[in-house]
Amino acid sequence: MKVFIAGFGTVGQGVTEVIASREEFFNKRYGQSIKIVGVMDSSTYVTDSGGLDPLKLVSVKKETGKVGKEKYTDALKILDSVDYDTLIEVSPTDYKTGGQGLKNIIHALETKKDVITTNKGPLAIKFGELIALAKKNKCKLKFEGTVAGAMPIINLCHDNLIGENIQSIRGILNGTCNYILSKMDNGQPFDQALKEAQQLGYAETDPSGDVEGYDSACKVVILANSVFDRNVTLSDVSITGITGITEEAVSLAKSRDMVIRLIGEVGEEKLEVAPRLVPKGHPLAVSGTLNAAQIRSDLAGPITISGRGAGRMETASAVLSDLISVMDDRKE
Amino acid sequence: MRLIKNMTHALNDTIINIGQIFSRVKMIVNAELYVKDLPGHLVGSLEPISMVDGNIKGVVHDREQIVNNRISLNVTFEVEDSTRLKELEDIWKARDIIISSIDSVYKTYPMEYMLIGNLTASYIENLMDEAAKKVRVAAIDMRYSSKDHHDNRTAMISVKMREQEDIEVLDSFLRKACKEGNMTYIRGL
Repeated sequence: MKVFIAGFGTVGQGVTEVIASREEFFNKRYGQSIKIVGVMDSSTYVTDSGGLDPLKLVSVKKETGKVGKEKYTDALKILDSVDYDTLIEVSPTDYKTGGQGLKNIIHALETKKDVITTNKGPLAIKFGELIALAKKNKCKLKFEGTVAGAMPIINLCHDNLIGENIQSIRGILNGTCNYILSKMDNGQPFDQALKEAQQLGYAETDPSGDVEGYDSACKVVILANSVFDRNVTLSDVSITGITGITEEAVSLAKSRDMVIRLIGEVGEEKLEVAPRLVPKGHPLAVSGTLNAAQIRSDLAGPITISGRGAGRMETASAVLSDLISVMDDRKE
Repeated sequence: MRLIKNMTHALNDTIINIGQIFSRVKMIVNAELYVKDLPGHLVGSLEPISMVDGNIKGVVHDREQIVNNRISLNVTFEVEDSTRLKELEDIWKARDIIISSIDSVYKTYPMEYMLIGNLTASYIENLMDEAAKKVRVAAIDMRYSSKDHHDNRTAMISVKMREQEDIEVLDSFLRKACKEGNMTYIRGL
C-alpha cells in the first residue's frame, strides 16, 4: 500500500518510524509492506513513487528542520503529483477553519483516496460533510488518533461494542489540563503548573486551546458524531475551561476527598466540557498527563479505559491501528 | 478561616412540615415487630404490607430472640406514603402484632456543587433557599474557602436530593446563577 504523509512534525515522524519498525508485521499479515511515496511538512515536500526510506526521512528532518529540498505553495498539487492509496493527514490542527488539513482531507477523498487523520479541527468542523464525501466515493476515513491518542476509544465503540446501545461517554480527554490540575492537587497554583507544563512540552506557548477546553470540545464533537451519529459542531458544545479553578477550590475539594478534573461528556442529548468534582478513587480521578474515559452501554454497563492521550509514539499507535483497519478492509 | 455551616437540621424540619406534599415519593420503612410463635402468624404479619400496596425489601426472622412467647421479626419495605403506613400500623395492631420500633427513610440522591467567584455566604444561602423552592432537598451542607488574592471565594455545596430528576433541575438553576453572577461553576460527576 502506498501512503502520503501530510504533516511531518512529532506525529508524522512517529508514524514514519512505526511504519519502518512494523515492516515485517505488514509483510507477514498482508504480503506487502507500506510504501511512503510522499511527505510534506509546512513548507517543503519530497516524493518518490518507488518509495522513500522512512528512517532517512526522519533523520533529514532532524538535521535540517525540513523534510525535503523542494518548496511548495499548493499542497493539493503536491498530493496530485504522485499516485498513492491512503493519505495520512497529521498536520497541526486549526480549530477555527480546519486549515490546510481540511483541504487535504477533502481533496484526498474527492480523488477517491482513503484517509487516516489525527487532525481534530477538520472533523470538529466538517464531520458530516467528510463522512458523506467518504461514503459517496467509497473511501475510508479513519480518525482514532483524533481522540485520546493511544487510548482506543473510537475503534472500541465501533468494533467491540458495535452491538451495544452506548448511552454516554465521559472522560478526561486532554492530558495538558489533567497535568495542570494534578499539580494543583499538590498545592501548586495554576500559573506555575501551566508554566511547568509548557517547559515539559505538554502545553503550547499559547495554551488557550487546551486550558479553555477547545481541544477537549473537538474530541467531544468527534465522539458525538462518530459514536452517537449526531450532527454537531464545536459551536454546539457547552465549554468551560480550567482557567477559573483556584487553589482554594482544589483545596476545598480535597477536604471532601475529591479532585477537580476537566471532563468531556457526550450522550444522546449531552454535549459538554467542564470541570467536575471527581471522588478520589473513581476511575476518572487519574493524575498526570493520562487520559481516561468511561463508556456506559446498555448491556456491558460502564467500561473504563485509560491511557496516554498524546505523544509521538502514542498517537502513531492510533494511526497504526487505523492503517491495519484500512488494510484489513482492502484484504477482504 | 473557613466558615462551615451545616443546614441539614433546618432543612429537615422544613421537609417534615411539607412532607405530605411529596406523597408520590416512596418511603422506605424498617419495622421491628414481635409476633406470636404460632403457625401462620409470621405470614399473617407480612401479608398486611401487600394489603397497603407495599413492597417487601427484606425480612429477618430471629427465632433466638423470644420475648413473652413472641419472636422478633425485622422487616424492611417500601410504602407509598405516611397515610398507607398508618393503615398498616392499624392492621398490625388489630392482629395483635407488637410494633417495637418503626423508622422511615427516604431514598436520596447526593450531588456536589462548587461555585467560585466574588461571593458571600449569605448570597449562597439565599441562592439555596431559592433552589429549595424548585427542588426537593433532603439535606444540604455548605462549606466556604477563605478569600484568595483576587477576593474570590469558593463555596462547596453538598446536597441530597429526594428525586433523581431534581439533580438536573438544580444543575440548571446553579449554572444559570453562575453565568449571571460571573462565577465559575463545577458540579460532581
